[in-house]
Amino acid sequence: MLLSDVYLWLSQSRIATSKLNRILDKIPATRLWDQFDAEGKYLLDDKTFSALKRTRSTDFIERAKQYLKLNNIEYVTRADPVFPTALAQSEVNPPVVLYYKGDLGILREPCIAVVGTRRASQYGKYVTEKIVSELAEKFTIVSGLATGIDGFAHAAALNAGGKTAAVLGSGLFNVTPVSNLKLFDEICSKGIVMSEYPPDTHASEYTFPQRNRIISGLCRGVLVVEAANKSGSLITADCALEQGRDVFAVPGDIDKPRSFGTNKLIVQGATAVTCAQDIFDHYDISRVKRKSRSRTDELDLVERRILDILNDGEKSFDALAETSGLSVSELNTALSTLMIFGLIRERSKNIYCATQE
Amino acid sequence: MLAKINSYALYGLDGYGVTVEVDIHAGLPSIDVVGLPDAAIKEARERVRSAVKNSGYDFSPRKITVNLAPAHTKKEGSLFDLAIALGILCATEQAGVDENKKPLPSVGDYVFLGELSLSGGVCKVNGVMPILIAARERGCKKIVIPSANINEAKYIRGIDVYAVSTLKEAVELMNGADVPPIEKSDVVISSGRQCSEDLKFVKGQYSAKRALEIAAAGGHNIIMIGPPGGGKTMLAKCLSGILPDMTELEALETTKIHSVAGILDETVGIVTERPFRSPHHTASKIALTGGGSAARPGEISYAHNGVLFLDELPEYPRNVLEILRQPLEDGVITVSRVSRSVEYPADLMLVASMNPCPCGYSGSAAHDCSCTPSQIQKYMSRISGPLLDRIDLHVEVDEVRYDELSSDVYAESSAAVKERVNAARALQTARYKGTGVHSNAGMTSVMIKRYCKLDAAGERILSSAFDKLGLSARAYTRILKVARTIADLDGAADISSKHVAEAVMYRSLDKAVK
Repeated sequence: MLLSDVYLWLSQSRIATSKLNRILDKIPATRLWDQFDAEGKYLLDDKTFSALKRTRSTDFIERAKQYLKLNNIEYVTRADPVFPTALAQSEVNPPVVLYYKGDLGILREPCIAVVGTRRASQYGKYVTEKIVSELAEKFTIVSGLATGIDGFAHAAALNAGGKTAAVLGSGLFNVTPVSNLKLFDEICSKGIVMSEYPPDTHASEYTFPQRNRIISGLCRGVLVVEAANKSGSLITADCALEQGRDVFAVPGDIDKPRSFGTNKLIVQGATAVTCAQDIFDHYDISRVKRKSRSRTDELDLVERRILDILNDGEKSFDALAETSGLSVSELNTALSTLMIFGLIRERSKNIYCATQE
Repeated sequence: MLAKINSYALYGLDGYGVTVEVDIHAGLPSIDVVGLPDAAIKEARERVRSAVKNSGYDFSPRKITVNLAPAHTKKEGSLFDLAIALGILCATEQAGVDENKKPLPSVGDYVFLGELSLSGGVCKVNGVMPILIAARERGCKKIVIPSANINEAKYIRGIDVYAVSTLKEAVELMNGADVPPIEKSDVVISSGRQCSEDLKFVKGQYSAKRALEIAAAGGHNIIMIGPPGGGKTMLAKCLSGILPDMTELEALETTKIHSVAGILDETVGIVTERPFRSPHHTASKIALTGGGSAARPGEISYAHNGVLFLDELPEYPRNVLEILRQPLEDGVITVSRVSRSVEYPADLMLVASMNPCPCGYSGSAAHDCSCTPSQIQKYMSRISGPLLDRIDLHVEVDEVRYDELSSDVYAESSAAVKERVNAARALQTARYKGTGVHSNAGMTSVMIKRYCKLDAAGERILSSAFDKLGLSARAYTRILKVARTIADLDGAADISSKHVAEAVMYRSLDKAVK
């Protein structure tokens, strides 16, 4: 019996990975298969024993393999050499089998996790897009395909032409939230989506915290962009620390609930990050700086004046209209052109600021 | 004896001739009305009886049969009262006869409209203007209307209109009394509209005010998005003060609808200011589109050539909003019922307002939004994509700062903005002459190709805007139309890159959807 088949058997028996790992600490997997009736009786509780007993047949494993193949789902077990090394080496409860769709190879590149709240603010969205678009040059961006920061991180990585991996808290058939199905398909074709759960598993409140350890385990570091006090992203950060990974956090206003979590991480010793370069520096990764094509010389006098005003700090549309003395239509045109050139952005509704390059 | 009196009935916005036949014959005393009358016409028996008696005529008990021909169409309303009463008087030879009791031939020249009161007075009826127009087209020369309807009748030339205020006056007229028809007058479009809100009292909100100006100039549909208390409703109310003046044709079109619906101001008699309708979000589908067994016009037709303002758009039931799609595209609504199908014009400018999320503060700088993404998504999804597709301008209205509220500086007044709007609309009227299109918003795809040509710089701006700002494809023609209006406001013959750049600013919902 192949070791990988034994692992598939264990995974398909739907016993929690933590329990499987406890069992495998006591007895090697192949021996469990071979001597199941003799040894299982002593080692396992009744429920686990009957669950494993029911599924212990080569026939069952063959059928499981065929089912996966039929649904275009690949799998990799801990016994396989292509199993992500970072994950295999992480001491904390490594998964037994990973079911995936996409390209497993991208996990061999340096990975970094970008996670954060589901209820992201404009600020969180902007920061994620900005940092990820640069990080994606050198890193595979790993996240959890949730709404909010996770989704923005995946999308930004894809937009930047980078690689991205999503780790689900459910089986591959039950993508949650459904609104991210399109993103799911895109990541399947351009990156990888994976889960330690058999494909038809439904998400539950236990599965999401569990998958966070895989996100952090795959990566060299975890960047938390925006997190409230009890955010799931903080669980990912905890996992990262347990697994000996770096934790980065983007600081935020100290009075904004959505920044409590990240600010607390920084107080506890996480590395504060304000741009992608901070992370590149941390890992001593040199990169060719993108030539910032300065389009300022294409601007006319009015646009330059607005840019000068905004370089001194953000301003609302009304305040701009008053300080610049321009007509509203001139101001509209100037702001629009500057935004199209990427020199300014709308920070929140009707509030404009210069983009720092 | 048999008597015949001409009258008119309404079918949608059109009228058709009805002959009221009255016959008196032997039998038990009664009045029967046949020819598919509704309840109001059946009640006419009582009104006619009292009116005839109280006008000093004889109403002895007889068997009277009244037929409204053609008998197969349903008739409704109180406008046949006068004709029925006159028919009874003719049939009893108390009116419409000469000294020798010979029927006067002049009786058939007149068309009579009017409701009777018990005292014998003639009261106001609905739909006089469309009936006058229909009667004129069918070659009718003389028509008698209640004097309360004089104001709407005086604008219709080519037909002699006589106004009566009592049944007696009508009888005298029929008997050949020398009464002059009412004097006609020209449609005077009033320019100095009295509007309760003026733009000069709106503090800040420059971007939104500019958007309103563009919307008014080009007849574009507009949606205002912002937190509660930002002044969206006030801005919308200001809009009626900057809308371009109506043309005579538009005024008559709108008046016809208001006349049928009975919402016409009888002291003025004509709608010379663009209507501003703001139905509450509890409005039913039928209230908005029109309908009922008689296929009456609804709010969207009342707003013809004017504004339909839907405050708090997501609060409207989705099925009510969806029915707006076809009228917004075609400018007409066809109300079909089993018994009839009527087309009402509904060429309107949709003005909507909404909060960005249930709590109202999503994206706000000053407040934190307390909504979950799924709540926001659910809220936004109450407005369908196809409906948003039809809205040219999206404008963010943010909260007003305290220093703006307390300042005494007045902004530009509505009158000044209106001048620019009028000038821009005049350009459009000249451009689209004879095509049936009134404004830039109504441009067909052929017209867009023809009138919205971009130069190289404009193309470049637009394509990089799609790239950088993540605009969706649906934004493309919308931006072109709005850019055309901005160029018109600028007095420019061609759209240049600056007009395109400004138009791009008003597509915030497209950017949000990215």
